Amino acid sequence: GAELQPLEPKSCNFELDWIKIELFFTLVCEEQLWIFYTLLLQPKPENAITIGVSARVLFNMEKEQQIYEQQGMEEYIKYQVEHETQPFSPGPAFSFVKALEAVNTRLRELYPESEELFDVVLMTNNHAYVGLRLINTINYHKLFIERFCMTGGNSPIGYLKAYHTNLYLSADPVKVREALEEGIAAATMFTPEKITEVSETQLRVAFDGDAVLFSDESERIYKAHGLDKFFEHEKTHENKPLDHGPLKGFLEALGKLQKKFYGKGQRMDCPIRTYLVTARSAASSGTRALKTLRSWGLEIDEALFLAGAPKGPMLEKIRPHIFFDDQMFHVEGAAEMGTVACHVPYGIAQRITKKGIHDKETSSAPQES
Amino acid sequence: MVSTIQNTDVKQKDADRAVVVAVTSRAVFESGADGDDVYGMGVAFPLLQALQRVNERLLEENPAESLLFDVVLITTDSQQQQQSSRIISSTRHYGLEVSRFCFSSEEDFVESLQKNNVQLFLSTDRNEVPQASQKGVLSALLDRQEAPSEQLRVMFCGDAVNRPDAGPMPASRQAAQSFSAQLGEMRQRFGMSDSPLSIVLMTSHGGRESCGGALRTLRSRGVNVDEAYCLAGAPLSPILSVVRPHFLLSDGFSGLED
Repeated sequence: GAELQPLEPKSCNFELDWIKIELFFTLVCEEQLWIFYTLLLQPKPENAITIGVSARVLFNMEKEQQIYEQQGMEEYIKYQVEHETQPFSPGPAFSFVKALEAVNTRLRELYPESEELFDVVLMTNNHAYVGLRLINTINYHKLFIERFCMTGGNSPIGYLKAYHTNLYLSADPVKVREALEEGIAAATMFTPEKITEVSETQLRVAFDGDAVLFSDESERIYKAHGLDKFFEHEKTHENKPLDHGPLKGFLEALGKLQKKFYGKGQRMDCPIRTYLVTARSAASSGTRALKTLRSWGLEIDEALFLAGAPKGPMLEKIRPHIFFDDQMFHVEGAAEMGTVACHVPYGIAQRITKKGIHDKETSSAPQES
Repeated sequence: MVSTIQNTDVKQKDADRAVVVAVTSRAVFESGADGDDVYGMGVAFPLLQALQRVNERLLEENPAESLLFDVVLITTDSQQQQQSSRIISSTRHYGLEVSRFCFSSEEDFVESLQKNNVQLFLSTDRNEVPQASQKGVLSALLDRQEAPSEQLRVMFCGDAVNRPDAGPMPASRQAAQSFSAQLGEMRQRFGMSDSPLSIVLMTSHGGRESCGGALRTLRSRGVNVDEAYCLAGAPLSPILSVVRPHFLLSDGFSGLED
């Protein structure tokens, strides 16, 4: 086994009403630093940027999912309990969560008293039977997740609201739709065949424009009247801000954190970078998008106007930890090239499915997320 | 003065195996207008129905089942005591599965609980609950619920934090352990889904290790938890209003995570 030597214990006492909180001591295990908490002071949900992640996107549970689908619940639970000490390997949301933690570390250095941090909550439909294996896995990967809801089959939506969740990621499109309907930013995450390596120090988030950051109003025009009418409409309404889409709030939250780095002179070295990756073109329809963002007081670090070109190759260059799009065509295109892409099932694109596109949305996992 | 009356409408349970739950009649019934023969439904009414449903399902699985809830209605209110016949007739009116009625005063109601081998005492009265608890009877406070569920939802609070002024009573820790073991056994009679009973664990201040420890401890007692919520300091009431447990057992459960 590895050598564990306790370093001099660091203790920090807070009195919150009648609660005394003891903080942590660090153990050094060979080259790895393992921080062990007896109790961690977590930010209040209303101050933090809460990200709800389901077990299946945080970890790779493909094998277990197959057992559930083919052999049923009892066998699934039995398997999970038998393999309780065997940690899951990382899922598609893993590197995103690690990047969130890296941002938190930088924020804590600059603003030690602030609660404006990312707070990752494990939000799973699983029974608490699977709880110990999930906790063991979190420990194994040294993730900083202290809050979780294991709902034992009940809907997580109420809990998402109770935690003031800013973003919910799940493999289950049904739950994602429910969350969107309740006004919570949400997206269905898919696992690429191979995942492109991403930064461990800079969080990169890429967004599609229409029906993600913006409403689907312009997309409706394109779908109903074609490209020419779309261009005409966008030109005419160039100075009229688009209505907001489901992920606008999340971009806003990221922007707020970015400003905290800028405030301390760290614009060049900011550990958060945002991208707009849109089919709009720079010459024409893109203007309205940029003006809308400006009217909202939001900055985006890089705007990429593809004028209809496929998004996969551009995303492969950017290497975001996560990419949001409302069209499965783009989500799949991105995933094919190694980007962790998430589908936002919002707006007019959901009512029209393109021919020949394999609809992955019908994967059944009513109990698991 | 303590008196006990059997409800002849209801089959008496096996004294050795049944889980005796005492609920105050003040919690179950609401005083309506004078002159009404029957009381209105009180805060604990949905809870009684949920307990009843668990019994029904247990007997469906096994008609000879003896591990059942044995519900006792205890009346400590002197006003209600004078209306003992009204309590009994109201119980019968609603078809509640109450096997016994106990009448006692505020001074000796705990004695009544002990005499009746009560394993869980539920009341809406904030004084009665700690009184019973101090004498070693596992107790919980009942509160009005919005949209109570049909499924019986029991929550265990497993935090390491010891409040300086209200520590756990060692006597009721034993009661807590045996009750939880019985509940665990009952839960095993049903499958993963569609259970009339759900066992919920919540840790409010500790991190994931705290909750993990509590899960292990409960499992070692034969209690497999259905749902687990680790709050790590997040406010309780928004989460509680989603979980909607019928009651919380925190008494005797500190140290679950050891």
